[in-house]
Amino acid sequence: MEISARQKIIDDLLPKKFGAKGRIWALTLVIVCLIGMYAYYRQLSKGLIVTDMRDYASWGIYISNFVFFVAISLVGSLITAVLRIVHVNWSTPLTRIAEIIAVSAITFASLIIIVDMGRPERFYNLFIHGRLQSPILWDVIVITTYFFISLLLLYLPLLPDFEIMLKAKAGGGKFLRGIYSFLGSFWKNTPQQIKISEKSVRILCITIIPVAFAIHTVTSWLFATTYRPGWDSTNFGAYFISGAFLVGSGAVLVAMFIFRYMYDLEKYITQEHFDKMGKIVVMLALVYLYFNLNEFLVPAFKMKKTDADHLLGLFRGEYSRVFWFALTTSMFLPILILVFRKGRKPVPAFIAGVLVVVGSWFKRYVIVTPTLLHPFLPMYDVPDSYKHYFPSWEEWAIAMGSLAGMLLIITLFARIFPIIPIQETISEIEEHEKV
Amino acid sequence: MNSNDTSRRDFLVTGLLAGATLSGCSDKPNPFEDKVTAMIKPSGKMVKLLSVDGEVIEVDEAYLKPVEDLPPVSNMEARKGIPGKKFVMVIDLSRCKSVKACQVACNHAHELNPGDNWIKIYPMQDSDHTAPYWEPSTCMHCDEPPCVKVCPVDATFKREDGIVLIDSDRCIGCRFCMAACPYSTRVFNWGEPDIPKEVKEKPYSCETSMPQKKGTVGKCDFCADMTRKGELPHCVSACPNGVFFFGDMIEDTVTNGAETFRFSDLIRDKAGYRLMEDLGTKPSVYYLPPVNRNFPFEDVEDSVGTHKEKV
Amino acid sequence: MKKYKYYTLTGLIALQITGACFAQTEKKELILGLSYINDNNQVQYLKANTKAKVEGKFRQISGIPVSFYIGSAVPANLLGKAVTDEHGLAALPIPASARDEWNKSSSHSFLVVSDSSVSYSAATTSIDLTKARIRLDTAADKKITAVLVEQKGADWTPVKGVDMKIAVKRLGGDLDVSETPTYTTDSLGEAHADFKLLNLPGDATGNLVIVAKVEDNDLFGNLSTERTVPWGTSSGFISDYDNRSLFARASRAPLWLLWMATSITISVWIVIFYLFVQIWKIKKLGA
Repeated sequence: MEISARQKIIDDLLPKKFGAKGRIWALTLVIVCLIGMYAYYRQLSKGLIVTDMRDYASWGIYISNFVFFVAISLVGSLITAVLRIVHVNWSTPLTRIAEIIAVSAITFASLIIIVDMGRPERFYNLFIHGRLQSPILWDVIVITTYFFISLLLLYLPLLPDFEIMLKAKAGGGKFLRGIYSFLGSFWKNTPQQIKISEKSVRILCITIIPVAFAIHTVTSWLFATTYRPGWDSTNFGAYFISGAFLVGSGAVLVAMFIFRYMYDLEKYITQEHFDKMGKIVVMLALVYLYFNLNEFLVPAFKMKKTDADHLLGLFRGEYSRVFWFALTTSMFLPILILVFRKGRKPVPAFIAGVLVVVGSWFKRYVIVTPTLLHPFLPMYDVPDSYKHYFPSWEEWAIAMGSLAGMLLIITLFARIFPIIPIQETISEIEEHEKV
Repeated sequence: MNSNDTSRRDFLVTGLLAGATLSGCSDKPNPFEDKVTAMIKPSGKMVKLLSVDGEVIEVDEAYLKPVEDLPPVSNMEARKGIPGKKFVMVIDLSRCKSVKACQVACNHAHELNPGDNWIKIYPMQDSDHTAPYWEPSTCMHCDEPPCVKVCPVDATFKREDGIVLIDSDRCIGCRFCMAACPYSTRVFNWGEPDIPKEVKEKPYSCETSMPQKKGTVGKCDFCADMTRKGELPHCVSACPNGVFFFGDMIEDTVTNGAETFRFSDLIRDKAGYRLMEDLGTKPSVYYLPPVNRNFPFEDVEDSVGTHKEKV
Repeated sequence: MKKYKYYTLTGLIALQITGACFAQTEKKELILGLSYINDNNQVQYLKANTKAKVEGKFRQISGIPVSFYIGSAVPANLLGKAVTDEHGLAALPIPASARDEWNKSSSHSFLVVSDSSVSYSAATTSIDLTKARIRLDTAADKKITAVLVEQKGADWTPVKGVDMKIAVKRLGGDLDVSETPTYTTDSLGEAHADFKLLNLPGDATGNLVIVAKVEDNDLFGNLSTERTVPWGTSSGFISDYDNRSLFARASRAPLWLLWMATSITISVWIVIFYLFVQIWKIKKLGA
């Protein structure tokens, strides 16, 4: 490849300083995080009573947020690993976006679950008194494992880019260069290094897929191992995983549009990318819709007594608004938008992605709390406030704070590292030219 | 006084007091409760008392203290339980009138906050044409407890004697047990429990489940401290209608304080059953169906809610 | 001006005194009960119970100091003092100091007195007691004989017409040995009962404790006598505490679960560790 062409690519993809918009965005996220931290301080001092969770709705939006985070984090295995293994090349620009979403999400999944604990200072009990019979312990093990694997899958493909960033003149100030050399100054782009790196990435991609499946299956088992209507389903592992892939790819649609717009990356994230991601989202939405049909229509056909109260509550009753909203925004509307070629243009695709993410967040709530408010025995001999649930401001603040935190990590990552793999882009074009 | 030595032996049980005390031996069983003997350490200080024969007998002072003053057992003992026993409760639905004396006694004994009832008395009507009845429910102390299965830190555990307890010093407050329990029997201390200072400062005992702690789970404990002393749980003693029967299944006997029945006879004759048998939890609480009701079903206000439940 | 100050001051003080007086006369009535208990002819003791109407309901009152007397409420006859516990009960074993008084006659009366306090008026109650004992005999054909004798002068004579309960001692209660709830003593002071409980589980070796009781008798108080008999079946208790199961403690997890979880986790972590080694190799190559 010509040196000037190569240089152009590097210049385009190097991480850039924040403009005004970037600073406002980062500041907003920081403020939301701070409000969340203050709300958490209140929760630590007064206890979980500051939330609206009570004895029946004992799990609320912290847990649904946790499920949401775990779900989104599966995108790393999908876009990065699966597509890599089948040698799909168009997805290369999106791999790092997907992977940082995954790492960031899994980090906040662990944090939000600690927030939900009544006694977070006793976290260490999980390690010294842990019971392997408990699905929570399985979740702790798989989440930790997945965190490290995702981190590796983020880091290994990043290695070649350190050399480029260190060599480039516009490669950032002293502080950033210090980070780059600490993390990857040993990368010299020798054939041996490349060989080891490629082999390692390949092994990683293969390993991450079963771990990703495990992480969301085990999370679904937090619900499926109980007797409750709406949770007592054999379908849950597959149902959750398909939902996870959907929300993850929706998140990628959103992220790729924003990065493309903010960093002028039209040449690297092209219309074709939106077209192809859009098709993937449609396919995943249809798969998720299929699982939803199984999950709701089959028990509705039987209308067993305990299921009946729960299902009618979702279809027609107290939870019908949020239920239909979640289904519409996460599946029906995105499918309608993206099934048409015009809908897979960047702007409509972005909107569809936003709908998927928002709808999926509410869908997780629909899975977690309504079941708890339909117990086997009547809700009685309890204060009236126990029979309903609407999150308190502290809960909203903390939940939004955790989402803001996740976005903040992604934003800062894009500030420090190239959000599109530089070396891989160059290599792929070179390959293409040879052919 | 009867000078016949053999008949005198009949008056005194298991080779105890008169002979031993007169010889000044300090190693003697508790004159009050022989089952509780092992738990009391003789203090060495002797007290002179009078027997019915007008003789002076010496008893170690430690045995004279009321049984309530027994020291709480260690955490390991509390986790293992009392060997050789399997506690079981029988609730007679034909006698329940929702007086809620059980609830009041339980809440008082465990210093519970209002709204944190460990005993809930549900108005039940299984279907449109079946009769309504009051159903008191405690923790079922299941033999296959779903709550114990899911606890990640062994904070809730099943003992040898069948009782399922909670260790509030270990609970991390994840509330998975609450999600897993189908009987809705667990409550959570969402805030700082409002209990008297002297109770709050005592170290936590799994058997008394006191003091309750913020951010941990609580539930009926079959009054494990009372059963260890051979006494009945507070709800059993408090019910004026004798609804609760409690006992040891291995002894095949249950009692409500006033009436004592053979457990197998009671369940067989009155067709006892368990709640949600099909879930496979194997509860230790049996119910006697509401046949030949003592009281007709009358709507009673929810003890905590502000509205009446319609049946 | 100064005069007014003095008037108001004295006025206020007068009000306080009268107010206090009125407050003082608002004492609640304390109801005292007394019973005599002698289990198994071991230590005999007196139990006082207190009750008072609090907010319309009768409640047991704790923290009341009571004094027990034999015969009459004079300091020479003081047996001892106690304070009622949270159940409103105060127990006092009859001390050896009462020996001379006790041996004087076969019947006595006991008194319990609680003094007037800030919240409660003074109360006293008494019971009469005739010394009595129960003898319990059992025969191999599972027939039980309980004999109640009272002290009359120097002899112990049988008592007729007293209801006795003959039962098996169980946790928290006593299981009647047959359908008959109580047995009345005949002219020989004997109550006969047949042990009708077939296959009743006993302790590990099949022993049961038979108890004969006189409960809340006006003359004799509460008496009981026990006897251990081998008429039960062996309890056959096998502990499942150490069984491996999903609901056992951490160290008793099922083996299949331990194997699956550890092998999966270890194999994945071997891969992760291998990858860290590869990174280190790359680092070394570039050094």
